[in-house]
Amino acid sequence: MSVVKLQKPRLALSTRHSALLLAGLLLVCLALPFVASAYVISLLFLLLMWVVMASSWNLLSGYTGYVSFGHAGFFGVGAYTAAILIWRAQWEWWLACLAGGVLCAALGVLIGGPALRLRGPYFAIALLGLSEVGRIVAVVWEPLTRGGLGISLPPDAELLPDYYAMLALALAAVGLVYGIANSKIGLRLLAIREDETAAEVVGVPTTRYKLLAFTLSAIFPGVAGGLYAWHVSYIDPGAVFAVSLSVRTIASAMFGGAGTVFGPVIGALLLNVLAEVLWVRFPFFHPVLFGGLIIVILLVMPGGIMALLQQRGILPRSRRL
Amino acid sequence: MAAEGTLTVLAQVVISGVLLGAVYALLAIGLNLIFGVMRVINVAHGDLMMLGAYTTFWLFTLWGVSPLVSLVVAMALMFALGALLQRVVVERVVGQPLLVSLLLTFGLSSFLTGSALNLWTANYRSVPAYTGSLVVAGLAFSVPRVIAFGVALAITVLVYLFLKYARLGKAIRATSQNADVALVCGIDVARIRLLTFGLGTALAAAAGSLLAVIYTVYPEMGRTFLLKAFAIIVLGGLGSFGGAFLGALALGVAEALAAYAWTAQIAEGVAYLLLIVVLLARPSGLFGIRE
Repeated sequence: MSVVKLQKPRLALSTRHSALLLAGLLLVCLALPFVASAYVISLLFLLLMWVVMASSWNLLSGYTGYVSFGHAGFFGVGAYTAAILIWRAQWEWWLACLAGGVLCAALGVLIGGPALRLRGPYFAIALLGLSEVGRIVAVVWEPLTRGGLGISLPPDAELLPDYYAMLALALAAVGLVYGIANSKIGLRLLAIREDETAAEVVGVPTTRYKLLAFTLSAIFPGVAGGLYAWHVSYIDPGAVFAVSLSVRTIASAMFGGAGTVFGPVIGALLLNVLAEVLWVRFPFFHPVLFGGLIIVILLVMPGGIMALLQQRGILPRSRRL
Repeated sequence: MAAEGTLTVLAQVVISGVLLGAVYALLAIGLNLIFGVMRVINVAHGDLMMLGAYTTFWLFTLWGVSPLVSLVVAMALMFALGALLQRVVVERVVGQPLLVSLLLTFGLSSFLTGSALNLWTANYRSVPAYTGSLVVAGLAFSVPRVIAFGVALAITVLVYLFLKYARLGKAIRATSQNADVALVCGIDVARIRLLTFGLGTALAAAAGSLLAVIYTVYPEMGRTFLLKAFAIIVLGGLGSFGGAFLGALALGVAEALAAYAWTAQIAEGVAYLLLIVVLLARPSGLFGIRE
């Protein structure tokens, strides 16, 4: 019979040290564009985009347990909203992106109500369906979206504003998740995940909380989609409504650890750097390796990196992280 | 005169939809069996179908093998592959949350599609084994579709009879109703899972072989048809055999009508719209197991 020794986790930092660490990281992120090449800045832009996607997905699916396979739908709506506003109405890019976020929030409220009545696999498939409907609408509604031809935007010469915008969005997303996770709201969302019926019995207003999580999680991909559209200057339905976007979002979040605050951040950064490396070295083999990677990750560490670190006693097992 | 013509066209469209629907049913029934027994949603199901389609294509192109024979070969091969995948990969995630199995099979799907793309290129292939149309009572039926329908129906009936009367079939049904009780009754649940995954995959391969005869074959076809299969089983209700079959026919008809009335692209969307509408009305699907 072995006795489990309760050890202090190796990386349990005091609040002051944690704050200093995060401030340091933030400084690095802010200063990086001045020393890095255009490729690196562009790469960071995309990595931060995945952080946004993974964190916002996590807010809904990691905390409430309602697994969404339709995250790309909001991304696509945001991308097209911004693109159309910039192209047809000559809006400023950042305003157009925010408008995308607002529209997604509205859609979130509209769709969330009926959708959140569904359980488990039905919810996942329904959202996948909605994402595909979004794609088909983009293809079919030609007068508005130019259908399969896609929308071309004026080329974006300046990288830095895009990078800082995405950084701000990422900070907002992670900050929101941190705030919610550490509050009563977060606890109640977790209760919904663990046993929704019991949560209702105990008095948690589940419908309201689920809808809140759903709506909040819809805003970020909306804005991110707009920023993406502006940055790459061309979108088409297949690119921004791709199911693979949803899958990669989920993989990023799960790799790091769904249901934790920093898990999706770590997962998004690591997984997508890895994907970029794979893509650069094996452009044709990429989906094969990526698929294989996902399989290996899930078999070996389904709880993600955070769970691994917590089990090994490196990080504290706390709801805060 | 015009009304008669429209009626004829409409009838043909509907029948065309039903013929295709039977093939969809094979795909959906396989997916359903796997979900029923293991509570795993196999996203790679479509890609396994794609492998079945390619098997038929290569056997036909290289050695002129009749698609009906290739069908049997494909089913056997894919049964074995399915069983292997189940034992090595899927069994490890049974009992874990839905998300894990969903993502795992997605990874598998990506792996298979990518492999097919690398091995056989993205070119569209076809199996022109049957051509022409059959004219019966003033209505024209495409020969490939009629043959596909016949075979699909035959297989569906066989599977139904197997599940209803055969000992193994009953064991499968018992396991999908309640795996724990089935275990207590002495059913080797792990073996049933293995066999069911193999069977589901074989059915997907059959669907693929038949689709190869009707449509074109290309690496990404798995994803397209998988989403339809999803729509079907959600429509019919996860876990319901009859629901899957009727749902498949309904989808086939709805798609055909939408393609006739509007465009093919809108027809694609029909599957999802149908899915969403049904789920709004009945969150467990039309005949589904209520979890």
